[in-house]
Amino acid sequence: MKHKKIFFYIFIVIALVQLYVPVQMILRKEKVLDEGVHFKFKTAPIDPSDPFRGKYVKLSFEANTIIVNDKNWTRNEAIYVLIDTDSLGYAKIVSVSKELPENTSNYIKAKVSYVSFKSPYRLTIQYPFDRYYMEESKAPIAEELYREATQLKTTIAYALVSVKDGDAVLKDVFIDNTPIKEIIQEVEKIEKN
Amino acid sequence: MRNLIKDIKELVEENVISKDTAVKITEYYNTKKKDSKNRLFVIFGVLGALLVGLGIVLIVAHNWDNFSKITKTIMAFIPLLLGQFLSGYTLLKKTDSTVWREASAAFLFFAIGANISLISQIYHMNGSLTNFVLVWMLLSLPLVYVMKSSFISLLYIVGITFYACNLGYWTYPNVEPYLFWVLLIAIMPHYYTLYKTHHQSNFFIFHNWLIPLSLIIVLGTVAATSSILLNVAYFNLFGLFYLIGKTSFFSHQQPKNSYLILGSFGMIVLLLIASFDGFWEHIQRTFTGEKLLRAPEFLSSVILFMSSLTILIRTPNKTHWKNTPLKYLFIVYTFLFIIGIFSSIPVILVNVLILGIGIHSIGEGVSRHHLGLLNYGLLIITALIISRFFDTDLNFIIRGLLFVMVGVGFFVTNYWMLKKRD
Repeated sequence: MKHKKIFFYIFIVIALVQLYVPVQMILRKEKVLDEGVHFKFKTAPIDPSDPFRGKYVKLSFEANTIIVNDKNWTRNEAIYVLIDTDSLGYAKIVSVSKELPENTSNYIKAKVSYVSFKSPYRLTIQYPFDRYYMEESKAPIAEELYREATQLKTTIAYALVSVKDGDAVLKDVFIDNTPIKEIIQEVEKIEKN
Repeated sequence: MRNLIKDIKELVEENVISKDTAVKITEYYNTKKKDSKNRLFVIFGVLGALLVGLGIVLIVAHNWDNFSKITKTIMAFIPLLLGQFLSGYTLLKKTDSTVWREASAAFLFFAIGANISLISQIYHMNGSLTNFVLVWMLLSLPLVYVMKSSFISLLYIVGITFYACNLGYWTYPNVEPYLFWVLLIAIMPHYYTLYKTHHQSNFFIFHNWLIPLSLIIVLGTVAATSSILLNVAYFNLFGLFYLIGKTSFFSHQQPKNSYLILGSFGMIVLLLIASFDGFWEHIQRTFTGEKLLRAPEFLSSVILFMSSLTILIRTPNKTHWKNTPLKYLFIVYTFLFIIGIFSSIPVILVNVLILGIGIHSIGEGVSRHHLGLLNYGLLIITALIISRFFDTDLNFIIRGLLFVMVGVGFFVTNYWMLKKRD
């Protein structure tokens, strides 16, 4: 009986750890959303040949490249992207570095996607927030809307991202200042009628 | 069962068996029945939990946009808390029931994975799959020991193998998943317990397949600069499996002896690869002694060679070496590889070796009336002939004749053996 109890107590500890891990994930993201600085990342058209992804909309951003001095960057290497806001209120890249930036918290930990072979060396960044998860039935509509919006010059689509000390959380995707979710609800309403 | 009782009654009436014996026989069959019933319960319990668990994962895939973030978060925790409650209840009230232990642990296992991936979706996290699987497995590992769940252990082995492949093969640039070896060692105490206490169980048999398969899959991730050396590492791994399969414990497990099957088959495949000229030319062209001592391929080869050697020396050897020559094959191969760095002679020796193994297996099959061994031997020789088809300048007529001979051999030997059996 005593033996049994010990296993039960050990299990309680394990169960608490199993809860602690996701709770910690949530708290970290909530902190970024609460205390982070909000940036609007203007979106760019995605490759139309990119296969349909079902559960999420694949996002691409205008501010995702920067000229670097050399080509000593490897694919998937971790980098820190320093960002700021441009005159129109959208996010722009200030610089990229392999070391942790000091005296600021407006940077994102991202990955190197690729660097061009010849000078000028253009580094393409892979942001950790390029997926916008949606319900399976809605994601295709959202993707279609997103594609139209990014191809038309008259509409502006952007992702609202909260940034703090390297961590970034995607809050929402907007098309002409309306959240994509609301647009989908409108579309669905029209389709129903 | 009803028939059996009737028969026993008849046998007692006719004084063929005594009443005592009749009681004993009935009791024996009763306990046996209970046992198989229990086993069925475990299977259905685990299957049920698996289906429910997979169902949860599917629901996760269908994420609900109309709920608020808080509702979604709460819903993400419901399966996890339910799984924990069920497992806790099992530990307090149903410890002796395999069904409860395996089923509740399986449910909790999937709930953990579902919970983490749901949270990732709610916050649009584009985290790596590798990290996700790693966290999932680490959170599930203790359940193997606390809940004494073999099913979780199997899922865990699959999970860590996937983790290692993702990191070592499918990510660019490749990272050696050294953590995999630690994770694999972490499951060994459970494997040992199964071996000690439940070596008749299906769970043990599944482990006997999954563990060597996992090792075979992941060993390749150590490849760095001297990848040709991986052949030696792999050969010694297969040699090790073969020797494990030949130990008195496992050799009783035929024909389910996974170690023997994987070890023997792996060695033959590697020998066939080494029967090509190109293989040895490649060694001479690319092999350098430079930085050899620090190459992970070299270290793993040495470790595996030493392990095989230890088992070979330590296990009591009752049979003459002629009866189980494959036991020594890893030494021969390693030796040939070393010679191969300087000369191309081994290619001839390897061809002779394969032919010898094939003939030996046929001989064994005939003397032990074992169709499997007989055909295995014939297959080895066929594979050797097909391989030589590609890189020798043998006359087409000779090649054709060789094939006809082997084909006739298949027919004649099998026919002869089957007839002899009748």
